[in-house]
Amino acid sequence: MKNNVLKKLFSKNSITIYIVVAIYAIFSSLLYTDNLSRQLTNMLISVSCYIVLAVSLNLVVGFLGELSLGHACFMSVGLFTGCISSVLMSNVIPSVYIRLPIAMILGGLAAAAVGFVIGLPALRLKGDYLAIVTLACGEIVKNAITNINMTVESADFEFNGAIGLNTNKYGIYIKDVGELLPYAIVLVFVTIIVMMNISKSKAGRCIMAIRDNRIAAESIGINVTYYKLIVFVLAAFFAGMAGVLYGHGNSFAAASKFDYNMSIEILVIVVLGGMGSVRGSIIAAIILRALPEMLREFSDYRMLLYSVLLIVIMILNANPKFADLKGNLSIPKIISRLKNKDKTVKEAK
Amino acid sequence: MTTFIQTLIDGLSLGSIYALIALGYTMVYGIAKMLNFAHGDVIMVGAYAVIASVSMASLPPVVGLILSVVICAALGILIEFLAYKPLRKSPSLAVLITAIGVSYLLQNLALLIFGSEQLSFPQVINLPDFAFAGVQIKGVTLATLVITAVIMIALTLFIKTTKLGKAMRASSEDKDAAELMGISVNRTISITFAIGSALAAIAGIFYGASYVYIKPTTGAMPGIKAFTAAVFGGIGSIPGAMLGGIILGIIEKFSQAYISTLWADAIVFGVLVLMLVIKPTGLLGKDIKEKV
Amino acid sequence: MKKFARIASLIMALAMVLTCFVGCTADKEGGATPGEDGLVELKLGCIGPLTGDYANYGTSVQNGVNLAIEEINAAGGVNGFKLTIDFQDSQGDPDSATAAYGKLMDDGMKISLGTVLSGEMTAVSAAAIADEILLLSPSASAKDAITGNDSAFRVCFNDPQQGTVSADYIADNKLATKVAVFYQSDLDYSNGLYENFKAQCAKRGIEIVETTTFTKSTNTDFSTQINAIKASGAELVFIPIYAAEASTFLTQAYGKLTDIPLFGCDGLDGILTKVSDTKYAENVMMLTPFSADDTTENVKKFVDSYKKNFNATPDQFAADGYDAVYAVVEALKKAEITPDNFEDDDFNSKMVAAMTQITVKGVTGTMTWTADGETNKAAKAMIIHDGVASLYTSEK
Repeated sequence: MKNNVLKKLFSKNSITIYIVVAIYAIFSSLLYTDNLSRQLTNMLISVSCYIVLAVSLNLVVGFLGELSLGHACFMSVGLFTGCISSVLMSNVIPSVYIRLPIAMILGGLAAAAVGFVIGLPALRLKGDYLAIVTLACGEIVKNAITNINMTVESADFEFNGAIGLNTNKYGIYIKDVGELLPYAIVLVFVTIIVMMNISKSKAGRCIMAIRDNRIAAESIGINVTYYKLIVFVLAAFFAGMAGVLYGHGNSFAAASKFDYNMSIEILVIVVLGGMGSVRGSIIAAIILRALPEMLREFSDYRMLLYSVLLIVIMILNANPKFADLKGNLSIPKIISRLKNKDKTVKEAK
Repeated sequence: MTTFIQTLIDGLSLGSIYALIALGYTMVYGIAKMLNFAHGDVIMVGAYAVIASVSMASLPPVVGLILSVVICAALGILIEFLAYKPLRKSPSLAVLITAIGVSYLLQNLALLIFGSEQLSFPQVINLPDFAFAGVQIKGVTLATLVITAVIMIALTLFIKTTKLGKAMRASSEDKDAAELMGISVNRTISITFAIGSALAAIAGIFYGASYVYIKPTTGAMPGIKAFTAAVFGGIGSIPGAMLGGIILGIIEKFSQAYISTLWADAIVFGVLVLMLVIKPTGLLGKDIKEKV
Repeated sequence: MKKFARIASLIMALAMVLTCFVGCTADKEGGATPGEDGLVELKLGCIGPLTGDYANYGTSVQNGVNLAIEEINAAGGVNGFKLTIDFQDSQGDPDSATAAYGKLMDDGMKISLGTVLSGEMTAVSAAAIADEILLLSPSASAKDAITGNDSAFRVCFNDPQQGTVSADYIADNKLATKVAVFYQSDLDYSNGLYENFKAQCAKRGIEIVETTTFTKSTNTDFSTQINAIKASGAELVFIPIYAAEASTFLTQAYGKLTDIPLFGCDGLDGILTKVSDTKYAENVMMLTPFSADDTTENVKKFVDSYKKNFNATPDQFAADGYDAVYAVVEALKKAEITPDNFEDDDFNSKMVAAMTQITVKGVTGTMTWTADGETNKAAKAMIIHDGVASLYTSEK
């Protein structure tokens, strides 16, 4: 019994939660006591958004095993829907702090709807073709948002997709990182917990079965169509929420930023963190977003480093020797080896 | 009516470039069964090779063109050896991610070597432009069309009739069986990449001759569009690549001229999505049933 | 990878703790004590793209700023200060620019030269509101880039001004009554100019006979657009786009749009170095407050020393950067800031108040500033003949 509790306390998922709690505890205590440097303060929200983006993309790439090259477009859809609805709600709900969670859900839903539409072709396609379709859809969405022109006279609101959205002008930009950080923390935790529970649930096992062998999964009665759609919709939902958060933390957002290159940047985070590993995505998001800021002088080499990382990691992962090495170095393996040693020593006695 | 014909010719001109790029794409995909995302960036390397040898090192144009083809072929073999060969047995997801990595690597290397400023492609191909009845045709367009057709026929014959071509088809069909028959699959795939990348160099030369300005990101968008063209024509099918490229170019130009320049991107990518969803095998592609 | 991450995660958690402490140790006391030359250091900061697609604009501004600072320090500084500049690379990304602004503040920046590009400036000026620090952007031209921040100013014209002034210029000089517009639909700069140009054209009785666009992913082949412009019977084409795309457009339009002048704004800066052959840029006009072949004494001096230092002809971005530093110097003088009082709390408010009172005779014209942060100066049009840009004079 005691052993079970211990096991639960130190399970893989709990450790992930502890790490995230520890990181946020350190940073928020520094922030709220005014001890955090301005440079890091300005990065907290953006890194949190990237954590959510990477963890949600990991659901598609790591769990479902399909490559999505249009993740940034979900963020973009969420951002613009959420932020615009937040502006339009300002007459009804005066406080931006109450509107933000509502906007996040609306933005998430809009992104989920787009995820559903993009997911539909995915039902017929897989592999390279699916990847290209997501890329194409991302570009179509970007093109569509750029061409939006809307004016709402009652709210004195004007939006031209090509020029972008100035959130500061419409009073939905939350300048103080301290005020926005709690929302970011909640979003990150909700995302992580949902993602970790999915991988443990029936749906999660079905999704992984589809990844490992689609035909076999289909033959034992798993509804491939249904689960694929669920994955796309859920990943888009969280990316959309992250977009709304991002929009409220930045005074300016333009659709052209959320292009294919940004999707690739998120993909690099997922691959570096390990496909299928929630914790890996979190740590990789922090490293890949923070490192270039710390090493500003080397900005020329940032993308070069990313590309080399992508190639090297994929090649190492494919190498069985490397997999063995990794396995032998992991903490549980070392612990169990120590335990076994004890056992054999005892048995010998 | 003049507008219609002029648009048709503009589409042909753009489409011939897409077709030329798509030929290399479809050949590599058809034989190595992998999406070489970096193909577009090899085009950029080919164009830069000409700029470096002709504009910077003042070599004669012919030497520059040959050098460009040789460099790209060698680059193709190198990329295949370093990045793709270790992944021969990995799932397509891993290979695609690596290919994206290679694409970014080439772009960023070019950025470090040549800088982000655009460079001008030297005038190595000087052909007169034609004009009749108010319609203009560029000499380069005609040359691109002719060279694309020649390459298409040569490639088809090469794969159908030569020993190496047969080995390629065998490797594509069943790697293990081909190996048992004494074909060196690794060598065959290396040669495929060499030919594919040499074609990319030729595409780069004609791209440079048509559009003059070369940047490190030059290859990315034409690469994606050419892939669209290859899929449109049926990926793996060599005549299909040419047909797909030309049709895509014409669609792009007509949507700009008659619908809206604002929506041209969405229309081209929309065509791709529709094509993949409705007929994933493309216009001239073969339908292959999946085996368990 | 999962198991590997477990070890890595512990190490990284530690590393994150360490990095944030490293971040905290930035010293905020800087130059209260005079250096060997008896001057106290006053730190300026600026952010812009030094790498990436827009690197040419950032580099130009950086050169202009460096040149001005060298001149000022060589002349014995200002009010007992020696100016220093910390120029941070943003790669054109607003996110990165905001973080860079934080870094500059950590490092004790006293006056900010804002950012080079508009998107970055919008982000930075909003993030800087609470600091009340003086932000004087050399070249961020979007209308909204400095609204909402009372201490933000700019040296260049804003986009609406450029669009409006262009239309006025065309009307005043009777350049055309029928114009076509060719712009980049997914670029804020290009859109801002187009919208205001369109509005002003309606007022001045200029007819826009054709509007045609392109995007970042369709920026290689402009044949359809050129044909449409040709068919429209326009007498002039307004091209509010950047120089890289403009060079492609000019090259493809060569021989097709003969006799139709092309008219652009400050985005066309540096077009002569971009085109493969300067014949393509023949008859291109651009509206700019700065001209490198101006014979005014201060402009000549600036152009000569710029050429000597950087082996290039300065463009408008360089001139904007150069003027921004001189505006800061004027403001320092006006606000009577000295090493004795520059650590005071009212430093920022004094500087901001001084900005609206100064008059700067810069290389981009004689400038004064409004409380909104906008500048007043005259626009000139340049025309390119035989590969040389010179001041346009109406011959009619």
